[in-house]
Amino acid sequence: MDIYQIQDIDHYYGDKQVLSIEDISIPAASIVGLIGPNGSGKSTLLKLLGFLEEPTYGAISFKGKKTLPFSHEVRFTVTLLTQAPYLMRRSVFDNVVYGLKIRKDTKDLRSRVGRALDLVGLDPEDFAKRKWYELSGGEAQRVALAARLVLKPEVLLLDEPTASVDADSARLIRKASLQAREEWGATLVVATHDWQWLYETCDSVLHLLHGRLFKNGLGSAVYGPWKFGEEGFLHKEFEDGQVLVVPTPEEGKKLAILDPSRMKISLPGEDPLLKWKIDTLNGFVTRLFLERNGDMVQVDIKVAVLVITMRLALDKVEELKLYPGKKVSIAYDPRDIEWF
Amino acid sequence: MDFIQEGFFQAVALLRNRDPATYSAISVTLRASGMAMVVSLLLGLPLGYLLGYFDFRFKKQIRIVVDTLLSLPTVFIGLVVYALLTRNGPLGETGLLFTIPGIAVGQAILALPIVIALTATAVEASDRNLRITLMSLGANRFQIAKSTLWEVRLGLLAAAVTATGRVLTEVGISLMVGGNIKWHTRTITTAIALETSKGEFGMGIALGLVLLLIALTVNISLAGLRRRI
Amino acid sequence: MKKTVFMLVCLTTVLHGSIFFSGKFVHAAETGGELLLATTTSTDNTGLLDYLMPSFTVKTGIGIRWIATGTGKALKLGENCDVDILLVHAPQAEIDFVDQGFGVDRQQIMYNDFVLIGPTEDPAKIRGKGVSPALQAIKSSNTVFVSRGDNSGTNKKERLLWKLADMPIPEQETWYRQSGQGMLATINVAAELKGYTMADRGTYIKYESIAESKPALVVLVEGDDVLLNQYSIIPINLQHCANVKYDKAQVLSSWMAGDEAQRLIGEFKLLGKQLFTPNANRE
Repeated sequence: MDIYQIQDIDHYYGDKQVLSIEDISIPAASIVGLIGPNGSGKSTLLKLLGFLEEPTYGAISFKGKKTLPFSHEVRFTVTLLTQAPYLMRRSVFDNVVYGLKIRKDTKDLRSRVGRALDLVGLDPEDFAKRKWYELSGGEAQRVALAARLVLKPEVLLLDEPTASVDADSARLIRKASLQAREEWGATLVVATHDWQWLYETCDSVLHLLHGRLFKNGLGSAVYGPWKFGEEGFLHKEFEDGQVLVVPTPEEGKKLAILDPSRMKISLPGEDPLLKWKIDTLNGFVTRLFLERNGDMVQVDIKVAVLVITMRLALDKVEELKLYPGKKVSIAYDPRDIEWF
Repeated sequence: MDFIQEGFFQAVALLRNRDPATYSAISVTLRASGMAMVVSLLLGLPLGYLLGYFDFRFKKQIRIVVDTLLSLPTVFIGLVVYALLTRNGPLGETGLLFTIPGIAVGQAILALPIVIALTATAVEASDRNLRITLMSLGANRFQIAKSTLWEVRLGLLAAAVTATGRVLTEVGISLMVGGNIKWHTRTITTAIALETSKGEFGMGIALGLVLLLIALTVNISLAGLRRRI
Repeated sequence: MKKTVFMLVCLTTVLHGSIFFSGKFVHAAETGGELLLATTTSTDNTGLLDYLMPSFTVKTGIGIRWIATGTGKALKLGENCDVDILLVHAPQAEIDFVDQGFGVDRQQIMYNDFVLIGPTEDPAKIRGKGVSPALQAIKSSNTVFVSRGDNSGTNKKERLLWKLADMPIPEQETWYRQSGQGMLATINVAAELKGYTMADRGTYIKYESIAESKPALVVLVEGDDVLLNQYSIIPINLQHCANVKYDKAQVLSSWMAGDEAQRLIGEFKLLGKQLFTPNANRE
């Protein structure tokens, strides 16, 4: 069952468009990663998923129902952890207990707070009494997480949870979040640059750029400059002399998006004539990653400055005998290129 | 200059001997100011929160108006309140003229813009992440308001201290609206005005020192409060 | 959090306690049904009312409060129905007041006189002169003269003196200073500037009693008929103000004109000198 259904939402801050999403579904109890450069709209998307703001156009469905901020269904079930560690000006105990008091759920407060602090690796005896200014950045972020975990939320949204903290805290935060999923089936959406999250933890990853979703990863986004070549085609010349041919874009669009799912991979030398054809690129494998499902492999191929990520079946990888460093050729059709 | 020194000794004497006129003035001052502060805080804190927290169409203009009201001269307020409370005025039937509650009304008008402006500033200065955190933990709009005000409590305390200082020391309103009636509406400040107009400068200094002592006591307790919250 | 609430409760209790405790020092007569009198600073500053009014309350059981301001404001308060009765000393203005229907049953109560006071050195040499020659001398010698400048009864009298001396009101002259304040304050200003002023004798005697060592200003001109200062009491007209305590105001008016009050007024002395002469006409 999809816990989130987003279709055709546009979000503006004043006159500036910050998000334009056509379609996202997030299954319950999954872990979804969110990556993209600063300013790509990750935090905004999380705020919308957290029902802290209402999208300017369109609506988000939660458990199949269109939902708004402050509504009963999400007030006590969806929670967001901010990027900067933020606590209220009160003791650790009072910070953690706040959400419970709001819900008038006041049984066994001490032991529940204690368990939440244990979950994030903080000793309740020592930390419960401390004031908000008596904590390091990492400790504060862990307390903030504990304040949310104690509520057993169905959805946990994390905005770069490990960005501003020390390594120990980062590890404990990840551990606690995963525990949430184990214990009560929480859905996690995590905006992060952390490779451990992205490659070891997440079921799937969403790529955001300029407020839009790129299904096939951002490595396949190519910036200009674009020149018209001798044969009259628009192309970009890479440093190693290779050339990427592109169709003519619409007015104002400068970013070319390749679609790795429509590319063909082959070993060089199989067809010597292909080597210098305009619709072939040569590069080498840099990374192989087995997805959690065990069937598909993500293959990162470096072509000049690009990193093209292809998803290949495991047996195809075995057939081509791919390993990091192996030279490969990629054939593409310029007509598959989209402009942005 | 002698009268300043004289004033010191007189101040001690007045307090030690429990001079009835002085204690009456102290009582009137405390009652009028106390009432005024309660009203202005009850009204001003929520209004200041609304002004600081929300974005709405005429927000900038309203803020400018509130800030301008901070410059209202007390004699002007006193005159306006007199016009309201005079027998044939719109609120004449209330019989508040020349009474302590009448003074409190005028002083509340003095204090209200201070409380609103400083509360709005404190709320505006609060961290963006506070709202996100409160909403994420499940607070509704009313709980957000309550918790935000608690978070900026030191700013609110500053607002209360500033307004109290202004109200304790004003003369124009007490004089116009209270009438400086001995035993009934003579505050410390109107008593000072009277004594100095009679040439009794020493007495004026003495009463001024008494007022300072009261202000000191109030602020010491507020400082104690500030440490604990 | 609990500790804070406790602290706040303590603070409020202490505050209320001190207010309540200090409230015990407020004068007993805080009942409704009190009479409200508007009078001038000269009457109040001398201390006459503090001395006289308790006897009224004892005799009649009616509590009384009074507001001391300038004559202009006192008349305005009466016209606005904010007080029940007036005790002022501006005869022409009083007559107008009654003619306009604001007050009734105007009664003379007491008088004293105005005097011209100035520094003992008397730079303009006005000692012993009549009023008009004295004012001429002040003008020609360019010595400072301080006026009330506040439209009070005293001020109106002073302006009349200039008129009677065939002189224009010295509005723009640099030696003519308008203090805009009460009588005692004006005397103090004149003392500071070593100048002349016109004061009612009652306030002057009060000034003398405050300035324990030698007073900076002394009486230089007195006795002219024109310097008479008549105080009258005027209850506010019930037809004009439905809310005034007319009956009680009449009680005060009769009492002030009666034997007891008149005697007490005559006995009121400072530095051994009588400040006011009772002159109520008993019908």
